[in-house]
Amino acid sequence: MKGGTAIGFILIICLGLVLHPTAQAPGDDQTLYEGDSIYHHITIRQDGTERCMIFGRQRDLRQTCVDLAKPDESIFEYSAMMFAGFLFRPDAKKVCLIGLGGGYIPAVFRRHLPSVQLQTVEVDPFVEKLARQYFAFTVPPGQALSIDDGRQFLKRSRERYDQIWLDAFNSDYIPAHMTTREFLALVKARLTEGGIVIQNLFCWSKLYDAQVATFRTVFAKVFVFEGQKSGSCIIVASDRADIEPKDLLKEAQKLGGRIGGIDLKAETGKCKVPPAVKNAPVLTDDFNPANLLLMQKK
Amino acid sequence: MQIVYGVFILLLVSFGAVVMSLEILSSNLMSPYFGGSIYIWGSIISSFMVHFSVGYVLGGHLSQSRPRISVLAAFLVAASLWVLMIPAMYKPVCEFISNRIVDVRLGSLIAMNVIFFVPVSIMAMVSPYLIGIITAWRRQSGFTAGMVLFISTVGSFAGTNATAFYLIGLFPVSRIVVGLGIICLCVSLITLALRVDRRIRIPNANDRA
Repeated sequence: MKGGTAIGFILIICLGLVLHPTAQAPGDDQTLYEGDSIYHHITIRQDGTERCMIFGRQRDLRQTCVDLAKPDESIFEYSAMMFAGFLFRPDAKKVCLIGLGGGYIPAVFRRHLPSVQLQTVEVDPFVEKLARQYFAFTVPPGQALSIDDGRQFLKRSRERYDQIWLDAFNSDYIPAHMTTREFLALVKARLTEGGIVIQNLFCWSKLYDAQVATFRTVFAKVFVFEGQKSGSCIIVASDRADIEPKDLLKEAQKLGGRIGGIDLKAETGKCKVPPAVKNAPVLTDDFNPANLLLMQKK
Repeated sequence: MQIVYGVFILLLVSFGAVVMSLEILSSNLMSPYFGGSIYIWGSIISSFMVHFSVGYVLGGHLSQSRPRISVLAAFLVAASLWVLMIPAMYKPVCEFISNRIVDVRLGSLIAMNVIFFVPVSIMAMVSPYLIGIITAWRRQSGFTAGMVLFISTVGSFAGTNATAFYLIGLFPVSRIVVGLGIICLCVSLITLALRVDRRIRIPNANDRA
């Protein structure tokens, strides 16, 4: 009898563990959601009017933050810098964005660049769900969203884009298979004549030098925007030979200086031609120590 | 007898290490074609488990019907040659499969099995094969099934960490795979050359034959 009771207890405890909710609804005032998708541990937190989507357990790796009072404002320096892509291709009609996050970038396109066709690609269906639920993400006419791995999407797609924005991040960094020369060659094949690619990345690791070196093997022109308030950098690359950083201010003025809350003129000052770094390896599908290089500070 | 145990340890450590090294490297081979998601790891781990189980059954069976190290070593030579071919074969295989199968789970599962079924199943035969031979040869020996699995697992531990923490940062994946193939081939040929079967007397082995 005693054995039976003990087994009963154990079964009840096991049942409790199984049924225990892993996704906690509002834990404290600030955590609106915490749970796991098949790709990430995702937290949505709110501080005042600022709401953020966070992947992984580290608080500092925020994917998207939006000020609910001023949803146009770019809280992160990187997203403002990415829009500087329009200084290189102001006439862009078709843009592909890899990596949705909370959907800040598509929202700016929706409000301020309605004539641009935006194709967003996001690998994690749960991120889309949370973006809709917590960041008012919608897909308006003229925009499209595909749930797919960015590299697979570009490989199967026959479309060509004037700008391709690479903003795919997991809880560590950019997925390694989207850092290689073969991947960038695929991106290049999906660009229109004179099209540009814009890569969001961090400036402080050895991986940054390797990524710049890798871009240089694929594209004739490679520029970087170095963040002044953050460790973010943006690579802008193209095969068009006639773009120079000094022309950007003129382009910014032609565009009226702003896209929504983003001051394009201020961004032009961050653009430079990156110096060649010796010993920076070129990343390929075959040789790709991206994860190890990320750990090494410059 | 020292030589026999030396060969056993060499086989267990090196193939234990190579199997896990291949498992780590396979994620680099798969991710350009099927993405870098947890699905890839699901395919990799489950495929290897299938290969292991096939190898265990086959190894156990062969150690009964053909209890000779040279038979095992001949299989291992074949597995080594297959590993040497992987760098040339994986691109067309993955390209072919990923172009035809949209679901990355199914696609990566098929690709993993096409590329790794033969060599990993053969390598998984090492432990049960040696356990079979040792139990028939020296029932009283301290070299138990537990010891065989321990040594092979220590090899696996070393192979996993060396690959993930160091080798991937130092060499291209294709070169690491070729290196593993060469190690496997050398170990198999050394095993054949030392003709350890002459040093092993299995009671009743002749009766069975």
